[in-house]
Amino acid sequence: MTKDTSRLRLAILGMVVLSLFSALLARLWYLQILASPTYKVEAQHNSVVFVYTEAPRGRILDRNGKVLADNRVVLALVAHREQVKADSPVLARVADLLGAKLDDLKDRLADERYSQFKPVPLAIDVQKDKLIYVREHQADFPGIEGLQLTERIYPNGTLAAHVLGTVGEINDKELAAHKNDGYRAGETIGKSGAELTYEADLRGTPQIEKLEVDSTGRVQRSLGNQPAVQGHDVRLSIDIDIQRLAEESLAQGLDLARRSTDFLTGKPFLAPGGSAVVLDPTDGSVLAMASNPTYDPNEFINGISVKRFAELNDPANNYPLNNRAIQGLYAPGSTFKLATAVAALKDGLITPKDTFNDTGSYTITGEQPLTVSNARGAKNGYVNVTQAITVSSDVFFDWLGQRFWDSRGKFGQAAIQDVARSLGMGDYTDVDLPFEADGRVSDPAGRERLHKDNPDAFPHPEWYTGDTVNVAIGQGDTVVTPLQLANAYATFANGGTVYAPHVGQAVLDINGQVIRTVDAKVVRRTELPASIRDPLQAGFKGVVNDPKGTAFGAFAGFPLAAFPVAGKTGTAEAPPKQDTSVFTAYAPADNARYVVTVILEQAGLGASAAAPVARRVLEGIAAKEGVAPVAPLANVNRVAGAD
Amino acid sequence: MQAPRNPAAPWRHLDLTLLLSTVGVAAMGLLMVYSSTRSKQANAGLDPGYYLKRQAIYLVIGLVAMAVAALVDYRRVRDFAPILYGGALLTLLLVISPLGTSRRGAQAWFQIGSYQFEPSEVAKLVFIISLAAVCASFRGELETGGLLAALGIAFVPMALIYVQPDLGTDMVFAAVLMAVLLVAGAKPRHIAVLSLIGLTAIVAVVQLGMLKDYQRDRLTAFLDPQADSQRSSYNLRQSQIAIAAGGIGGRGLFQGTQTNLSFVPEQHTDFIFTAVGEELGFLGGVSLLGFFGVMLWRVWRAAVLARDQFGRLLCVGVVAMLVFQIFENMGMTMGITPITGIPLPFMSFGGSAMIASFIGVGLVLNVHMRRFG
Repeated sequence: MTKDTSRLRLAILGMVVLSLFSALLARLWYLQILASPTYKVEAQHNSVVFVYTEAPRGRILDRNGKVLADNRVVLALVAHREQVKADSPVLARVADLLGAKLDDLKDRLADERYSQFKPVPLAIDVQKDKLIYVREHQADFPGIEGLQLTERIYPNGTLAAHVLGTVGEINDKELAAHKNDGYRAGETIGKSGAELTYEADLRGTPQIEKLEVDSTGRVQRSLGNQPAVQGHDVRLSIDIDIQRLAEESLAQGLDLARRSTDFLTGKPFLAPGGSAVVLDPTDGSVLAMASNPTYDPNEFINGISVKRFAELNDPANNYPLNNRAIQGLYAPGSTFKLATAVAALKDGLITPKDTFNDTGSYTITGEQPLTVSNARGAKNGYVNVTQAITVSSDVFFDWLGQRFWDSRGKFGQAAIQDVARSLGMGDYTDVDLPFEADGRVSDPAGRERLHKDNPDAFPHPEWYTGDTVNVAIGQGDTVVTPLQLANAYATFANGGTVYAPHVGQAVLDINGQVIRTVDAKVVRRTELPASIRDPLQAGFKGVVNDPKGTAFGAFAGFPLAAFPVAGKTGTAEAPPKQDTSVFTAYAPADNARYVVTVILEQAGLGASAAAPVARRVLEGIAAKEGVAPVAPLANVNRVAGAD
Repeated sequence: MQAPRNPAAPWRHLDLTLLLSTVGVAAMGLLMVYSSTRSKQANAGLDPGYYLKRQAIYLVIGLVAMAVAALVDYRRVRDFAPILYGGALLTLLLVISPLGTSRRGAQAWFQIGSYQFEPSEVAKLVFIISLAAVCASFRGELETGGLLAALGIAFVPMALIYVQPDLGTDMVFAAVLMAVLLVAGAKPRHIAVLSLIGLTAIVAVVQLGMLKDYQRDRLTAFLDPQADSQRSSYNLRQSQIAIAAGGIGGRGLFQGTQTNLSFVPEQHTDFIFTAVGEELGFLGGVSLLGFFGVMLWRVWRAAVLARDQFGRLLCVGVVAMLVFQIFENMGMTMGITPITGIPLPFMSFGGSAMIASFIGVGLVLNVHMRRFG
């Protein structure tokens, strides 16, 4: 081999070496100069995690600042995941100590809702002595630690449960709906009631800790901490004293009904549930909203058990979770006569002086003659609209119903119904509580629509004279919520303004300063001139004050002179069930600041069951107002009555 | 009277540039091994300087081994080539016997106390010596007989290493073989045929199921870096993130998050360059390439200046060994070559590779300083 080829071959080798080094240099240039900015971001994502800790929720207060929903500090046993594994013997020791199931603890440990950078709560609300035991025997409990957590508490138990609502762990649907609000899996969110409506105010700003972690997820150090900010307090318009009064009186009324005999069936009333609403007609504030049966919202904190939740939803228990005040749908019975009377006077169908002879029954002339009677066959003689309201003459209003239908060419097919709707019946009231029902005011167009949408449930699309007669006295397919009924009478009492009722009053910061007020919201104004209002007002006063009035007996002994009350009884047929007992009142009669509506399911006449409940509530309010002597309230009495 | 100075005295021709560039790389390696292990060690409650101290011991042993390799005249080493070759084959046989230890899927180590010895690293050098000796024994162009002898010399240790299996080291053997054959005077068509056979063999090994899944994944991960489901892709991805995040000036010594927080697996061994890339940046990476470049230039120069064919081929073998390992290792951390378990010379943590590399440089110093006598 010559020296020359050797040189050449070495030169080739050198070229290969140079080209390989050039390739490395080029790649290094690309990665570190050209692509560096994007990779820097990735390196950051790799090593930095954010750990969120929920802030305590704001409190819920009544209108006088009394606490309805609070936070309390609870003791929790937590496990550090890097030390405690599913097969660690320490887990069995914890299960023994707490009397818990080992599998439950394993499930919690594996639960992905808990950030892997935070200790997992194995048990919440642990007794202090058990926490102390763990601390004293720490060698036996490696990776287990006691911590203080804050959680929701409703100090008054079941009181105002339906208004306050419940909180629970956010679910997938809520998480999707709140995508942009920074919610994370495992967080607490309002599920019902004011807790849901005012979620955005009550929820605080979570603590955000920025941590540096290594490739195995072990925390190296904290890079920063944004402390938690407790949520705002929400003050409700609810007056806790009136709320308690309403709930107690309602429960007494139902209890009493269950111990009374239904003359129609000869059996005791079932009285499975009811509702009582106290509304301020001057601005739509809800002062009390009771629904019976009820539940304890404390049961939902940290997750209600499946068994207990099933119990609460069992039909045999009459759905205690439902807020009957806004979800219960009832025929209004004679309380609906407000709408019929307004319609008749407004359209000039009658004057206040026109009378009709109430012989105890009325024969509908029309497609097929049909005779209907007053409740209990009462004969009231010649009555005008005022007297018809006072004595609750069905015959008088049957007559109005017939005449409206006969004059439908002039007033339209739904003259009464339109007035009822203008007073807020049969539609959402827009109350600031979730899951409100809309109800229905029955009319020919609506019936046809129902039939079209669901022919099986509504087989008859036709509308007869008798249907308008039924509408006129509040029977038949018309259904309203107790709150709608209260709102309709509030509208009458305040002279024609329909407010959207509201339970919220103001949002306060941590120092009690008002951040935002929940103002009265006018839905519409309806014309109620004195020519219409006065004759009806006289009739509603008569219900309570006139010896012939249907609720005269229920208000016997009530300080009516000091605290005048007007109202209307109602008894709604709900075949095959027993009658719904309805009463709605307002006081002081000529300058009303309170509307009280009470509905008891399957409890008989409005005068017998609902009116005494409302009376007791009004008695309590009168005492609170200082217009009547403050004395221990008597229990609800059942009284005889005619409607 | 002083004795007259002997101008051919070997110590007077010691290549200081090669020596210093080598020591420079090794010192940088020492620092990066410390940087990439200290926080992980500290987290585990262990001595943060553990790996640093071990690597320092290897460095000292390596320097001594280099001195020995430089001092014994390389022409005497040639005489021992058959014995060395036989000894190397024997240890390679023993390591795949039950005496050897298996780690990460390869039976490639002897466990001696708390130290591991990897015979294939030393076998690389013995192979270079043996191959150079055989090729140098043929005059002029390498004819078919000489070529077959060279291939035979290569085949036996490569087969034994394939059994471990350690594909990376086999690739180093192949690179050394090709470079030595090139300079030894193999005919261009022989080289072409051999290259073709080599390529076919690689395709066959990858495609015909001769590899375990993890081996194939590692080799092919660089072709599809987006497929991050595989462990190998994760390695590659984290490795590139670390290097690229360094930018021009790096994030500062001991400041790299990828490095400190152990995001790069095997960082102190095969992925040591990622620590350089992240913490010292482009400037650090170019400096390292510069040190390596100077080192290779001096070894190549020694080949050019060598007084005989054996010495020349020795140097060529060392050039090939070093450049292939540097290119393959740094290339894999940057995603342009397959992931194989080849250490970065003088940088990666590990005693066998460090000592073998120093011996290689020692042999080159040996050839260089005896070029006149």
